[in-house]
Amino acid sequence: MCAALVAERAEEAAVAWPAAPEPAVRVNGLNHYYGEGEARNQVLFGNSIEIPAGQLVVMTGPSGAGKTTLLTLIGALRSIQEGRIDVLGRDLSRLGGSDLVDVRRDMGFIFQMHNLFDALSAYENVKMAAQLGDASSSEMRQRCAGILERLGLGHRIDHKPRFLSGGERQRVAIGRALVNQPRLILADEPTAALDKDSTMNVIKLLKQTTIDYGAAVMMVTHDHRIIDSADRLVHMVDGRIMSDVVLHDALRICEFLRPIDLFKALTPQQLTDVAEHMKKRHFAAGDTIIREGEPGEDFFLISDGEVEVIRSDHEVARLGPGDFFGEVALISGEPRNATVVAEGGVDAYALGKTDFQTALATSQSFRDQLYRVYFMRH
Amino acid sequence: MARPGSVPLAWRNLVWNKARLLRSAGGIGFAVLLMLMQLGFEQAFFESAFAVIRGLDGDILLQSAHKYQFATRDPFPRADLDKARDVPGVASARALYADWFNFFWKNPIDGKVFLVRAFGFDPDAPVFSFADVNASRDKLKAPNTVLVDRGARRFLGMDSAATEAELNGTKVKIVAGFALGPDFQSDGTVIMSDRTFASLLRAPAGNPAAVDVGVVKVKSDDDPAAVQQSLRKALPDTIAVFTKPQLIEFERKFQADVSSAGPIFAMGTIVGFVVGMLISYQVTYTDLSDQLPQYATLKAMGYRTGYLLRVVFEQAGFNALAGWVPALLLSILLYYLIGRLALLPLHMTAQVILVSLGLTLGMCLISAAIAVRRVITADPAEVF
Repeated sequence: MCAALVAERAEEAAVAWPAAPEPAVRVNGLNHYYGEGEARNQVLFGNSIEIPAGQLVVMTGPSGAGKTTLLTLIGALRSIQEGRIDVLGRDLSRLGGSDLVDVRRDMGFIFQMHNLFDALSAYENVKMAAQLGDASSSEMRQRCAGILERLGLGHRIDHKPRFLSGGERQRVAIGRALVNQPRLILADEPTAALDKDSTMNVIKLLKQTTIDYGAAVMMVTHDHRIIDSADRLVHMVDGRIMSDVVLHDALRICEFLRPIDLFKALTPQQLTDVAEHMKKRHFAAGDTIIREGEPGEDFFLISDGEVEVIRSDHEVARLGPGDFFGEVALISGEPRNATVVAEGGVDAYALGKTDFQTALATSQSFRDQLYRVYFMRH
Repeated sequence: MARPGSVPLAWRNLVWNKARLLRSAGGIGFAVLLMLMQLGFEQAFFESAFAVIRGLDGDILLQSAHKYQFATRDPFPRADLDKARDVPGVASARALYADWFNFFWKNPIDGKVFLVRAFGFDPDAPVFSFADVNASRDKLKAPNTVLVDRGARRFLGMDSAATEAELNGTKVKIVAGFALGPDFQSDGTVIMSDRTFASLLRAPAGNPAAVDVGVVKVKSDDDPAAVQQSLRKALPDTIAVFTKPQLIEFERKFQADVSSAGPIFAMGTIVGFVVGMLISYQVTYTDLSDQLPQYATLKAMGYRTGYLLRVVFEQAGFNALAGWVPALLLSILLYYLIGRLALLPLHMTAQVILVSLGLTLGMCLISAAIAVRRVITADPAEVF
């Protein structure tokens, strides 16, 4: 996945998302149950996640993992039982039925089934959503026609669903979800019925909404064509968020890891696994990142800036972007043999001791490379 | 929620599938037709029963207080009618002799004998407003002369060119005709002078001692209500004093509440209503079931339940109209045909139109109210 991301993300890396004071979605300690009494069954377990505005988040996971339940809770379609969800700055657990309806008007829903009214034309189906907003009639007309145009349905605007293909119907449904420029878009397998071109067209449009007006998009899908376009990948298993990876960071980490001898022997999957477990950390000028004599807890990869390596009060090396340090203490189990100080502001990716050792155990070649580096540095 | 230029969802849902619209309109229309026919028959029944009362040329009508319906014989003393003449404001008080059960008419063509309705009055003191009757009243002065109802049922032979017939075994001369028509109780009517009436009824000839209905005219400057009050004071309690509308209402109440006719027609209308409700429920329920995911999607999008209710009820209203309009048109045709065949005053009236429209809307809206629970309980989370 990393290789593909590198190619496609090069241009997008420069995109600046609008700053948002509040995340579009903030989920905290969310539990959810179905059934009552002895039949009560917990389907979500203490999930927490924050989704900022302007992010396209893809949720994956096996069937029954709780993805759709989480989506419907965020979408104010179910009552919150335990935990808290803030959507677009509003605490859903404190809202009554009428206020929940108002919150939903700020969202766009895309369902696996298009659920279009057979009696209405494509334009009218989209207008059903548009008339919920406060746009004037002429603006509404413009928006409805415009979104259908952008979805490649400009010539099918007056057609009723039964005269449209499955893919066209789904695109009308997507148009219906996007016509009011919602600040949060929730989608469940939106491209399941679409061919490759339509899928890319839809993803491009969804991506554009995150850029144009900072919409947050949360999408359940198994479509790899979409996963490749995501900003963030959330993986759920058995009602728990098992991994939550911001793919921009993973991409950047991959870019650094790939040319480094240490990681050259890793397969793309192994490289991605390592990248996904690394956390971005920022150090101000003069911060001590590791201190000689202390136990080793993290392995560091420098993203931006320079560090000074000091051993026994003498500078022994300077490291810059793409360089790494901290592996020796993790391999040997001995205390740090040097102090590393940030020269200016430094951004680094850190891999915790446990994840480092897991990566070590995963790949024989990775272990061999590390031991080679270890002995070179001694 | 609704705003100008918004999508007319209910209307679109109604008309998009022509075959389904035809089926639902046919089903509902059938039930409406049942109701319209019942309402039409009921109205014809009442109208025919009121026809004679309407045809009396008086402002106030007197009859025995013991009569429970107009078409029964319970005469009151002629002296009471004479007393009425002396009441201030009374211009005239004339006698009508009537019988529904003692006059037997022999068809002059085939000789078969039938019971008919008979009225008698003094030719010099007319009581009817029927122009044909008044034009020929002088001819009735000759003994055993009668006017026959040309609109009577055919089997009486009153519409024939015969000039003689037999009434209660006595030969009578048919001097002219008039057009009244039968009702649900009588097949035909014979009108004659009071003297002929008395002789044929085998009562003392000349000056009958008792009258069936007193037909009172009020002086043009006087208030009929005030004269009615005066008459009530002047006459004994055994005499009921009605204005014409009051007597019609008295008769209507008897037919609707006491006789079996009212409940029979009402039951027929109720059956039509219930059948229509079942059909309408089925139409609405099927439509809502088919579109439940769409309605749930609307809920998810932020439409309130009130909007969904409005759409469902609007559509039920449109369904009602789609069934009612063709049924109304068809019933007008059927009224005409049946009215001609049965010689009944079967006419489409504003009252029948309004009542049938109200019932049709009622049955469709009630069934929609039952079926709409499906939409109210639709869970938008389930469409994910």
